[in-house]
Amino acid sequence: MAGTNNHELFENLRLELRRGSLVLAVLTALREERYGYTLRKTLEERGMAIDEGTLYPLLRRLESQGLLLSEWREEEKRNKRFYRLSADGKVMLKQLLAEWQSINSSLNGML
Amino acid sequence: MDLVDRYLRAVGKALPEAQREDIIRELSEDIRSEMEEREEGLGRPLTEAEQQSVLKQRGNPLLLAASYRQDRRSVAFGKQLIGPVLFPFYVKVLSFNLGLTFTIIAVIFIALGLSGQKIGFHDIVSTCLLQLFIQLGAVTLIFSLLERHLTKNPDRWDLSGVRSGLRFDVKMQTNISLPLERPQQISRFESVSIIIASAVALIWMTGVQNYPFLILGPAAAFLKLAPIWYQVYFPIVLLTVAEIVRATINLVRPDWTRFRAMVGVIVHSGGLAIVYFLVKAGSWVMAADSVAGHGGEYGRAVETVNQWVRAGLLITAVSSAVMLVVRVARLIRGPRSRVASSSVGAPAKEGN
Repeated sequence: MAGTNNHELFENLRLELRRGSLVLAVLTALREERYGYTLRKTLEERGMAIDEGTLYPLLRRLESQGLLLSEWREEEKRNKRFYRLSADGKVMLKQLLAEWQSINSSLNGML
Repeated sequence: MDLVDRYLRAVGKALPEAQREDIIRELSEDIRSEMEEREEGLGRPLTEAEQQSVLKQRGNPLLLAASYRQDRRSVAFGKQLIGPVLFPFYVKVLSFNLGLTFTIIAVIFIALGLSGQKIGFHDIVSTCLLQLFIQLGAVTLIFSLLERHLTKNPDRWDLSGVRSGLRFDVKMQTNISLPLERPQQISRFESVSIIIASAVALIWMTGVQNYPFLILGPAAAFLKLAPIWYQVYFPIVLLTVAEIVRATINLVRPDWTRFRAMVGVIVHSGGLAIVYFLVKAGSWVMAADSVAGHGGEYGRAVETVNQWVRAGLLITAVSSAVMLVVRVARLIRGPRSRVASSSVGAPAKEGN
């Protein structure tokens, strides 16, 4: 029973930890223009698998916050929605990366 | 309509209308890209079972749609009773039930006010609060049970119905409501809503029969329901139960649209017959036994309330008759429209 609780707790904390990192991963991946599916595949290949129920709402939120730009365009005879970083997004990514590196080096120092 | 379309329609039904088209387009593109990639890998088209597997991985349509909603409101009492997934449906059902109840109460209070009876603000508030408490309790309890089921069994949904698109896992007896928008099918959300609303109505009617103050409020001190209400009580219960049975059957077989239409006509005809007997009765409230000796004092209140009830019943009878004609016309026209739709390539089979 205690093992199950510990596992659940670990899963919750792990998800919490990943949630913050996902924004950074998505912004980083969108320095290059991509549509949803290729973005998901790229993240998965880099070890940051994300399901579409998390990715697409996140993309919408980031776009409404002005960090992403999107446009529908035809590619391979199908309409796809392409996303890329906006000018504000680039600035924000730079700041977030600096923050992440600072956290990372602090943690490394403690370990 | 292929499995992907069925899945997308189920997701779309639970999405906010303003964003629905955009989200569905994007989701459709994502699913089809994944399927194409798998087909390229296999060197052949995916089988239905493989397509189902792709969609299963994406999860319950209701939960997927909920992840897009900004509204994260829920009902909690110590622990969460109704989460953000079911909350919008909970609000809709509760609003409908409360709206209907408060309309009836308003009519009674207005009639009493016009008849010269003194109605205090306290009386109105206490009657409304009591109704609010009863409806809130019943609807919250039912939705809490649904939420519990959804939380425990998020993956208990199925796409394998030959004609019916998303269907309940019949082997498991219970499953969550998955809405559909397909014209030849009945939305499961609609069926669940009807079951919940009818169950609450049954509880409420039983309560009113035994405790008339539930509907008459403070006027129950000098008014009582006329015998006709007790005579039509069981026919009304019977029709409500029939509607619950019909909605339950449509929950399992949403493609039985003709069955719904036929039962709808029968229930509606029964309802119209009850309204006829009610109108014929001529008196719907009477002076309570406790004020029997003060007929003149309360006679005007009885007369005014009866006049309002008569007007309400006549309006109900006329609108109900018109709706019955429309239902019968749709039932007759139904098969022809299905033939027309199949001729342009849309599958329009029906299970009964």
